[in-house]
Formats: sequence, structure tokens, C-alpha cells
Amino acid sequence: MIHLQNIEKVYRTDTIETRALNHISLDVAKGEFLSIMGPSGCGKSTLLNIMGLLDEPSGGELKIDEQKTDHLSDKELARFRNKKIGFIFQSYHLINDLKVLDNVELPLLYRSSTARERKGLAATALEKVGLSNRMKHFPTQLSGGQKQRVAIARAIVGRPEIILADEPTGNLDSAMGNEIMEILIGLNRNEGTTIVMVTHDEQMARRTHRLVRLFDGAQVG
Amino acid sequence: MFAHLFTLIWNKKKQNLLLISEILVSFLVIFGVFSLITYDYLNYKKPMGFDYERVWVVNYSNPLETKSNDSVTLYYENLRQTLKAMPQVKEVSFTSGNFPFSNSTNATGLRHNGVVYSRINNFTVDDQYKEAINLKLLEGRWFNKLDAAAKDRPILINESLKEAVFGKEAAVGKYMNDWEEKNKLKIIGVVQDVKMKGDYTTIGNAVFNRIDSGAFHWLGNMLIKVTGDADAAFESRLYKVLAGSMKNANIEIGHLSNLRVSKNKAFLVPLIVISIVAGFLIINVALGLFGVLWYNINKRRGEIGLRRAIGASGKSVSLQLVTETMILSTLSLIIGAFFAIQFPILRVGDIDASVYLTALLLSILFIYLLVLVCSLYPGRQAAAIQPAVALHEE
Ligand SMILES: Nc1ncnc2c1ncn2[C@@H]1O[C@H](COP(=O)(O)OP(=O)(O)OP(=O)(O)O)[C@@H](O)[C@H]1O
Ligand SMILES: [Mg+2]
Repeated sequence: MIHLQNIEKVYRTDTIETRALNHISLDVAKGEFLSIMGPSGCGKSTLLNIMGLLDEPSGGELKIDEQKTDHLSDKELARFRNKKIGFIFQSYHLINDLKVLDNVELPLLYRSSTARERKGLAATALEKVGLSNRMKHFPTQLSGGQKQRVAIARAIVGRPEIILADEPTGNLDSAMGNEIMEILIGLNRNEGTTIVMVTHDEQMARRTHRLVRLFDGAQVG
Repeated sequence: MFAHLFTLIWNKKKQNLLLISEILVSFLVIFGVFSLITYDYLNYKKPMGFDYERVWVVNYSNPLETKSNDSVTLYYENLRQTLKAMPQVKEVSFTSGNFPFSNSTNATGLRHNGVVYSRINNFTVDDQYKEAINLKLLEGRWFNKLDAAAKDRPILINESLKEAVFGKEAAVGKYMNDWEEKNKLKIIGVVQDVKMKGDYTTIGNAVFNRIDSGAFHWLGNMLIKVTGDADAAFESRLYKVLAGSMKNANIEIGHLSNLRVSKNKAFLVPLIVISIVAGFLIINVALGLFGVLWYNINKRRGEIGLRRAIGASGKSVSLQLVTETMILSTLSLIIGAFFAIQFPILRVGDIDASVYLTALLLSILFIYLLVLVCSLYPGRQAAAIQPAVALHEE
């Protein structure tokens, strides 16, 4: 599903050159639940951003669903992300000025769809994460765990084949973290969604199919 | 997407209030300035209604001490003949002080069928006045000698007054009454409107009265139409002739074309000052707008990053921000237009509705353009935000 070969990422500023990723080769199979671990600053987020087409690798080859992506225009990349990929972030990234339902339907706004379709799909997605009773709330009225569930609903509302989650439980206590983990495992199991998750939690990682460890931009196991 | 942006704006109404009121205030200022400019421009486009080239004006103080109407009339008729004998003089006309581009006005009121028409410019002039400044007659005739013996006092009125009183009907042969309702005034002609206070103003309603036998006691102005070869040397000769004829009188010779220039200047200077002040205000507003949009974009980097992640291209992010600002301006303009539309409805200043409506349209266009220009660059900056970086920041 996701194919990385010799992926490199170098950040250059005026004075320093940071090698964030060093020859990463990795294949994520369709339906796989992969977790990535490693110390802070080792390049996990960078790797996830490259998989999610939010960032360009400095070198190497990236294929998603057998398709090379390096020749795609900004607009085509945007459409690709919209259709294939759902993102979940540690800090949720909800829009505080929009109600929960409006937040969840956001990805559908970048496709052709009617308002009724959008509301319907968003409500279904919220049902899946158990938040049907919070649709009219604003994000500021929710707990951290609830916010992350809204973010998951937003990630799945467009039925993407891939979910990229960057420390989705990083801001949550273990009970809430487990809830989120259950939802992700359910998605993977029931809908066959391919999931790549960055985590700092060994226990969480152990519940996924495979664990990749990064150290200083390189793969160590 | 439109409904979505509207929801977003609505939910942020408190933050947006400042921007909306800023745009509203600049709209109202622009509307005021544009109304003024439109009004003046439309006046400017109207015909002058008379000629001012090669017309000289002589101010004099009447030197005669006689009380007799006949001798004073005879004296000035002789002066007219003396002047007309000079080859450079084509016509000589005596007029009240409110000659073209003068600073003096004389207003009166007239009645017709019980309706009072006030603030009518009142010109007291002679039979030669029309020729001297080439007034355009639309109906009827100008004064002549025979009018001295007429039973009812003859008057000419201008186009504006004719339309106000008689509408589309002909006015010649009809009567009006003077202010005190003592005299019947017979309309013998209608002349085109004259812009006697400069190129940018109309004088509204006007009536022309023929000088009566005693008028030469107080009339103090002559209009002299001269030929093309009337030069400075002729002007000094003219002065000598006048001085020689009118002993002990103060005599001043001026040119209508010069008076027009200074009249126009006196009109334009405040208009230009107002425009400059408004211009500075607009620059201020534009900078403010620019700043607010810039600030908003920096505050919304996370949101922009997220939108990029879930499927927005750089262009659509930029378009979104520009559209949001345009929606905000539309809200301001709806409120602003509600105030502005009261001016034509209430006919403020008795000014034609078309002036206000033109100004309204222009101001709306101007504000949209201003807002568009101010939001394009911040919008482009928003499009350039790297999603990976923006999402990482929080
Ligand atoms: N935009 C950037 N410009 C320069 N350097 C960057 C940029 N983004 C990341 N880096 C560097 O690249 C390296 C990898 O960063 P990355 O965010 O991928 O780490 P991470 O493994 O996700 O860390 P954490 O667990 O703290 O989230 C770090 O050294 C970081 O300083
Ligand atoms: Mg990270």
C-alpha cells in the first residue's frame, strides 16, 4: 500500500543541515497496522508527513497504492490526500470556531458533495466513535479524549484507505488512550484500513501488527 | 463551501466585528466623497450656458449726483455709445453686481398658483446682456426697448425654474407673481441654465429682470464684449476713456476668463483637500485591513495546515481567505448601503437620486476592489504555508 525506498529527508537552513531521514526503505501492506517508535527528534513525524504527501522527500522513491507521486501537482496531491489518506494528530487540530459536526465534514468540502450527504456521512462517522450526542458542541466544550475521537471521525469520514496517526494518544491518559486505540484497532479490523501510527507507548505498539524503530533518521529494527 | 465559510464567519462574529465596522466606515466615507465628486462632475459636464471669452467686466462707482432718472439713463446710454464707437468693442451691457463669476448673489422669491418658489437667483440686466455674454434662448425672446412701456413687467426665467413651475409645458406668455404678490410678471422667454459660479456648480433657479429707469443709480457693472484684437494697449485706452467720462469714479477692469479660473480654483481646493484627507483615511484602512488579514492568517496557521492535509490545495486555501474577506465586505456593504440609500430616498440636499446611486455603485466597486487588493497578498502567503511545518507548530 505504501512503498518507501531509500527515502531521505534533509532540512537545510542557512547554517545547519539536518538529516531527518536516512535511507528509509519500508513497505506497508494493505490492511496492515504498523507502529513507529523512536526517541524524540528521530524523524518519526517527518516520515509520516512524507507518507501523507504533506512533505517531499529529498531523495528516494515513494509509491502509494502502486502510484508514484513525485510528478503530481499541488492540486493533484491535495486531491490524493483527500481521497486516500486520513490524518490524526497528537494535538487534534480541530477548528475551534466550528461545531463538532462541521469539523467532521471538513474533508468532504473538498470533494463534490451535497450538504445533506456531508451531514449524513459526518453523523455516521461520529456514531462510529461514539460521539453522536456531541454533534452541536464546540471543540472547546470537549475533553481531550473526545476531541481526539472527533479527529478520528474527521479522518474516517471520507473513507480513506490509509490512516496516518502521529502520537494520537500522546496527550491522553491511559484510559482515554486505550479507548482511542480500540477505535483504531476496530477500524483496521472491520474496515481493513491501513494504519501507520507513531507512538511513544510500548504497550500500544505491541497491539499493532508490526513495529518499526527509528533512531537518528535511520531504521534500527 | 460558501455556506461553510459563512458558518465560520458567523461563529467568529465577535472577532469579525472590528473588520466589518472598519470596512463600513470606509465605505461611508467613500460614499460621501464619491457623491460629492459625482455631483460636481455631472455639473461640470453641463453646458456653461454663456460665453466668457473676450468678455471684460468693468466695476465702477456711479459718479453722478443727480436724482433724476432720465439724466442718469441718458448719461449711461451716451457712455455706451461712446464705448461702442471703439472698433474693438462689440457690445456693452449694464448689469447688477451678480455678473458671471462674481462673488455676489441676489436671491428673490416668486409665486405661481399659490406655490412659493424661493431662493431664485435674481439678475437685473439690460437689453444688450444676452448679446454681451451670448445667452442661449430656448423659448420666446430677450428684452427690448418696447418692454419699457409694457403693462405687465416682463421677465425671462431659466430652464430649471421653468421645469419646476411649468414642467414640460411652454412658459412663454404665462404669468408669475412677485414675492409680495403686488405685480404680475409676464414671462417673455426661457434661457438655458447658466453656470455663473464656475464650471462645477449650477446656480439652480434664476429670473432675469429688465433694468427700470432708476436702475442706473445703483448698477455698478458693465460687461464689454471685445473683439480678438483687444490687447493690453486697448485696455489702457479703454480705461482712459472711462476715467475721462466718469470723473471721480473708481474704475476696475477685469476679464471674465480670469475670474472663472479663480472661481474654479476656489471651488476645487476644498474638494481636493477632502479627497486627499479621504485618500489618507483609505490608505490607513487598507493598511489596517492588510494587517488584520495578515494577523488572522498567522493565527490560523494550524487551521490552514489542517485544511491542506485533508485536501485543500494551496490555491484553494488562498481562495478561501479571499472569499472570506469578500463575504465580510459584503456584510459591511449591506449595512452601509442601507444607510447610503436613505440619501436618494430622502432626496438629501435636493440632489438628483442618480447622483447618489452612481456614488453608491462606485463606492461598492471601490470597496470590493480595495478589499480584494488587500487580501490577495495575505492569501498568497497563506497558500505558501508548508502544511507539515504548520501542523507541527502546536
Ligand atoms: N521544518 C524543519 N526544518 C528543519 N528541521 C526540521 C524541520 N522539521 C523537523 N526538523 C528536524 O528533523 C528532525 C526530525 O524531526 P521530527 O519532527 O520528524 O521528529 P520526531 O521523531 O517526530 O520527534 P517527536 O517525537 O519529538 O515528535 C529533528 O531533528 C527536527 O529538528
Ligand atoms: Mg513528532
